[in-house]
Amino acid sequence: MTEDQTAIDVSEKAFAETVDSGSPGDGAHIAIRGLRKVFKRDKKETVALDDFSLDIRRGELVTLVGPSGCGKTTILKLIAGLIEPTSGEVLIGGRPCLRPGPDRGMVFQDFALFHWRSVRKNVEFGLEVAGVPRGDRRAEAERYIKLVGLEKFIDSRVYELSGGMKQRVGIARSLVTHPDVLLMDEPFGSLDAQTRNIMQVQLLKVLDETDQTIVFVTHSVDEAVFLSDRIIVLTKRPARIKEVIEVPWPKPRDRAAPEFTALRKRILSELEAENVMEG
Amino acid sequence: MVMRIQGLKYDENNWIHRQVRLAAITVVAIAAFVAAWHVASVLADTPTVPSPGRTLDALINFYSYGDWSSGTQRTMFELIGSSMITFAKGFALALVVAVPLGLALGYFKIAREFTNPIIEVLRPIAPIAWAPIFIIILGSATGAMLVVFIGIFFPLLTNVIFGVRKIEANLLDASKTLGASQFQVFYKVIMPYTAPYLMNGVKVGLGVGWMCIVAAEMCAGTLVGVGKYLYDMAYSGNWPKAYAALVLIGVLGLLTIGVSDYVHRWVSRRMGMDA
Ligand SMILES: Nc1ncnc2c1ncn2[C@@H]1O[C@H](COP(=O)(O)OP(=O)(O)OP(=O)(O)O)[C@@H](O)[C@H]1O
Ligand SMILES: [Mg+2]
Repeated sequence: MTEDQTAIDVSEKAFAETVDSGSPGDGAHIAIRGLRKVFKRDKKETVALDDFSLDIRRGELVTLVGPSGCGKTTILKLIAGLIEPTSGEVLIGGRPCLRPGPDRGMVFQDFALFHWRSVRKNVEFGLEVAGVPRGDRRAEAERYIKLVGLEKFIDSRVYELSGGMKQRVGIARSLVTHPDVLLMDEPFGSLDAQTRNIMQVQLLKVLDETDQTIVFVTHSVDEAVFLSDRIIVLTKRPARIKEVIEVPWPKPRDRAAPEFTALRKRILSELEAENVMEG
Repeated sequence: MVMRIQGLKYDENNWIHRQVRLAAITVVAIAAFVAAWHVASVLADTPTVPSPGRTLDALINFYSYGDWSSGTQRTMFELIGSSMITFAKGFALALVVAVPLGLALGYFKIAREFTNPIIEVLRPIAPIAWAPIFIIILGSATGAMLVVFIGIFFPLLTNVIFGVRKIEANLLDASKTLGASQFQVFYKVIMPYTAPYLMNGVKVGLGVGWMCIVAAEMCAGTLVGVGKYLYDMAYSGNWPKAYAALVLIGVLGLLTIGVSDYVHRWVSRRMGMDA
């Protein structure tokens, strides 16, 4: 654990037990070690991440919250193996992660759907490239399309969908292959409040059946408190860990509960302090 | 704009109204052109500018009796067919060469950088400029076919390269995180992504190719076709027939472009672009 990583028990009264925030080397599912990422183009350098370390347990749902542009997507892409770190490393189950693989699914902030494919064919993609037979593929895809509430649009083309629907296709597409690690980049960002709440509950249901590890990025503190086992509050770019908050309450949670609103408030003020709006 | 057709108010949102309006404007425009042509032919009063009426007669004559100029009779459709076959061969060859090459050059930066200077020098050469060389070395049929090939090849190649290069990094990322191999990324993502760009190349290429076949036939000694017919008729001073051939070439070109435009739009829609 790095110095700036402070586990805080927010529920002194209700949950007195101390929570294991994951110490290095003890079999963390995802171990991020001293990660640094510098984007370099000619003379322009952007330090997106600097000495970022974090351990994530198997089956844990960890949420990253932080100011826009602080490096959240960069962290997910590094875990996915889509970009290479400038230094440091990401270990998945103890093994260095060097390239993308079907064990780590990702939901993209801007959907990244295959616009020439129907909803069904988008969701089937991961199964198709894995060589799953057509019949099984269809059945599995249909299951997840239903789960995200798009069964009426199963044969629609992507351009016929609204932003929120596209986002749900992206979610179904990543869930269908049952990746060990699911990297979700603001997956509910384009949804209206009601659909968003429904999707959060659906996600928890799916995770109940599996022991998938989720790294979740969101701008909604409410969402973070509702879903997370642990919330990582990040600083401005380059992202450093400002605070780690364990949320050991059982799920699904009551958004109206006093400890829920209290925690939400606290994180919001943390973020506001961090934002100090750069102009 | 308010227009009244049989007491009906023009409605921009009504498909039939839009079509009728466009058809009416088109008919008026063509009529105006034919009228202007007629006036010009009367004013010029020379056999090299026949009137639209005489040109139409020549066209009907061509349709009815075919072409006798080479000594043997050939029907109008034989000439059109002959041009079309040369055209189709050049097109097929361009497709077979330009598509794989374009995909490769779009994908591999080093290959693109390596070939770019060569392509950029060859591309501005008018396709018809190759005609004397190809026809003299390889004969009329093959030579003319290769001129068409050149005409279609470059628009096709540049459009395919452009399409491959335009692909969004996110789509590649998404397919990789879904477990696609390098090869699967190529043929399940890059190739379908490129399809509408390819079709745009086809559309442009067919237009250029049709111009090429007509021009190439004129340079080709032994080839038969509508372009050759045009040349023969003008050479022998049969002006109405030469103009008739010109009209025919224009209409056939229009059909070619119309069909490819339709296919292009269909593919773009099908591939979820430009919808
Ligand atoms: N490919 C790239 N090339 C150059 N700079 C980049 C690249 N990708 C990201 N950056 C920069 O790195 C920083 C972090 O970007 P990142 O996308 O990770 O932020 P984020 O926290 O996900 O923001 P948001 O909340 O707005 O999605 C930004 O300043 C961004 O401009
Ligand atoms: Mg982001």
